[in-house]
Amino acid sequence: MSSDLDRWIEQLKKCEPLKEHEVKQLCQRALEVLVEESNVQRVDSPVTICGDIHGQFYDLMELFQVGGDCPQTNYLFMGDFVDRGFYSVETFLLLLALKVYGFYDECLRKYGSVNVWRYCTDVFDYLSLSAIVDNRIFCVHGGLSPTITSLDQIRAIDRKQEVPHDGSMCDLLWSDPEEIDGWGLSPRGAGYLFGGSVCEAFTSFNKIDLIARAHQLVMDGYKWMFHDKLVTVWSAPNYCYRCGNVAAILELDEHLNKNFKVFEAAPQEVRGAQAKKASVEYFL
Amino acid sequence: MANDDGLYPIAILIDELKSDEPVRRLNSISRLSTIALALGEERTRSELIPFLAENTDDEDEVLLAAAEQLGGFVPFVGGPVYAHLLLPLLETLSTVEETVVREKAIDSLCKVGSKLPDNSLCEHFIPLIKRLATGEWFTSRVSSAGLFSTAYPRATAHLKAELRHLYASLCKDETPMVRRAAAHKLGGFARVVEREYVARELMQLFTDLINDVQDSVRLLAVESCSAFAASLSSEDATIHLLPVINKFAQDKSWRVRYNVAHQLVQLCESLGKEHTRSDLTPNFVRLLRDSEAEVRVAAASKVSALSACLTSQQIALNIVPCVRELSVDNSQYVRAALASVVMELAPMLGKPGTIEHLVPVFLTLLKDTYPDVRLNVISKLSQVNQVIGIELLAQSLLPAIEELAEDKHWRVRLAIVEHIPLLASQLGAEFFQDKLGPQCMRSLEDQVASIREAGAKSLQKIAKDFGPEWAKEHLVPKVLAMSRNSHYLYRMTMLLALSLLASIVSHDVLVAHMLPVILSSAKDKVPNVKFNAAKMMARIAPLLERQVVDHHVKPCLVELCEDADMDVRFYAREALFACEPK
Repeated sequence: MSSDLDRWIEQLKKCEPLKEHEVKQLCQRALEVLVEESNVQRVDSPVTICGDIHGQFYDLMELFQVGGDCPQTNYLFMGDFVDRGFYSVETFLLLLALKVYGFYDECLRKYGSVNVWRYCTDVFDYLSLSAIVDNRIFCVHGGLSPTITSLDQIRAIDRKQEVPHDGSMCDLLWSDPEEIDGWGLSPRGAGYLFGGSVCEAFTSFNKIDLIARAHQLVMDGYKWMFHDKLVTVWSAPNYCYRCGNVAAILELDEHLNKNFKVFEAAPQEVRGAQAKKASVEYFL
Repeated sequence: MANDDGLYPIAILIDELKSDEPVRRLNSISRLSTIALALGEERTRSELIPFLAENTDDEDEVLLAAAEQLGGFVPFVGGPVYAHLLLPLLETLSTVEETVVREKAIDSLCKVGSKLPDNSLCEHFIPLIKRLATGEWFTSRVSSAGLFSTAYPRATAHLKAELRHLYASLCKDETPMVRRAAAHKLGGFARVVEREYVARELMQLFTDLINDVQDSVRLLAVESCSAFAASLSSEDATIHLLPVINKFAQDKSWRVRYNVAHQLVQLCESLGKEHTRSDLTPNFVRLLRDSEAEVRVAAASKVSALSACLTSQQIALNIVPCVRELSVDNSQYVRAALASVVMELAPMLGKPGTIEHLVPVFLTLLKDTYPDVRLNVISKLSQVNQVIGIELLAQSLLPAIEELAEDKHWRVRLAIVEHIPLLASQLGAEFFQDKLGPQCMRSLEDQVASIREAGAKSLQKIAKDFGPEWAKEHLVPKVLAMSRNSHYLYRMTMLLALSLLASIVSHDVLVAHMLPVILSSAKDKVPNVKFNAAKMMARIAPLLERQVVDHHVKPCLVELCEDADMDVRFYAREALFACEPK
């Protein structure tokens, strides 16, 4: 099995998708690992925290070139691996070996069946909701929820299910920080907007230094808010191949010193020939 | 025939040649020389060649193979005396419709023709040319053009005149394809024709062809320009060719201009320095500023070769301004072509000229966004070094290198790190110690992982270049100092660098200096560092004595096998396995 895994990783690094039965095996194996994880997965420093990737495979390769290869560098990805980019399958499968609308179509196009999509979505349901580094930095995809004040409340959620349309699990995934007082309605129609006082209350109650989250495009790759109690990290450069933003990863060393590494989209000559063709298809 | 063992090979050949499958026929034809050898000279002449001559109605692929084989067939038919026996078969092949077959047949005809004795040449080869050149189909006339230069030198005076006359008729043929072939081969023919006839007869043909109504004919004729120049006295060349060159350097077709740019250096040699300086230089300058990038690429790559004919003043006055423009050309190919030759101007310009004119250009190219351009500059640095000396070079080079090494785009920094070994080998160990070394060490602490890796690889190359003693003194202590870095990623870079240097330094340095650091890295508090230390131990174990492995490396790995971290345990076990004697 481990030699299979090495071979798959080699193959996926070249952006070549796996065969359907291999995807099935990989996802099953991933489930075995993921099912053991907590809703607030404990992570030790040093670790490098990454934001959304959105299927931009060659930019993920760029990320590894800047941040270092696995397993030399430890990585924590805060979600949104898939959708919008051209290589969601390869990207997500690669991140597994080392969530979901457009992803379904891509599975259908590349595998001619929805099975691959089903295997992957099963895995999505098992992905951990959040992580905490050295008990001091809380990492979550979206943000906070009005129904949650403590980390223990998150630990009590049964996450092994499809994300519901409302409730605490949905909020953790889709909420956004905003310069407001208290809570607000989210224009996304899912999750909430939360202000500095909410952030302050959560961090002091749970004795944490910082909330790291992803979910929102920030042009400089990262953005501090609420007196440096919250940071948004975005790891998809030139998002959707047209936003013109740079991307960042947050490198935490063994003393929890923070270092943002900013990077740009992979240059055209290192992208596969497909990228050009696909972009036509994508924009028509 | 079947009961004769000696004929068995030809039986197979004939069988295979009659096969319905072209692949089998092709196979047997490709082994034609083996078969001929088995048959012997006489039977090759009396049986094999006639047999092949009867079977020329085959697939093009088979005919192509036959045409190719026959070029080397002279020894198999009994040497030059019998070589003419090959001519009829090749003559047939040189009239077929398929161009590649004809071209191969002509090649082989030239090979066979050059082996023919003089009398046989006049008796068989020249009549063959006549038949082809006056053939009804244009294909045979096209083929004939390629045979003249083989036949001409050894023909009698009377036949020579006849051949020149025939060639003239090809140049005036009504079919453009024939005129193209004549234009294409004219340069080669001019090389073997006596100078007086080149000037008196061929020059007129050349003039007609370069004024042909067909673009493609003109284009091919221009290619003959330099061959023509070499076949004329320099006086004749000047009178006849200079106007032609002047005209073509401004032709409306860029391909024609490209051809001129391509040949300009040979033309300079033929026309002599004086005309190069007065007449060809303005044309060259025009081509360097051509509107088509392809033409500029061709011209830019000749900058130094052409400048060799000029005075340093002329270079400074005429060429340098163009070079300056080309160094910021829109096309990366132009810049790359320039970068690959421009440093060769340094010895021609001398020290003050190089500093004044060349160094600014070279700094511009060194900062080019296109890696090939930078690499081309760096690989020619030694030439500048020889002219202006290391001190001056360092003064101008280092700031540029430092600037690039701190560029905000990491790929630019990566390129510089990758170039450092090349720079070091050209500029020497001392220069590296003083100037490049610190830069290279800084790359080990770059923010970007790929650059740290490239830095470690560069150190390895440099250590190989300058030797173990030098590495011990100048590299190892600096690398080892990184073990105290507070960031785990940099401590891991140190481990990588050590493992790359391990095979280069002396055994003594490895055991006394490197090994203790690797062993103490196994006690690092970060698991990633620990498992990398385990990996490095596996890598250096083969370089160590058994006793050292058993007493120092293995106990350390055994301890790691009990580590709390899964990855550490995994790599420690793998390393232990690698430490076992094979």
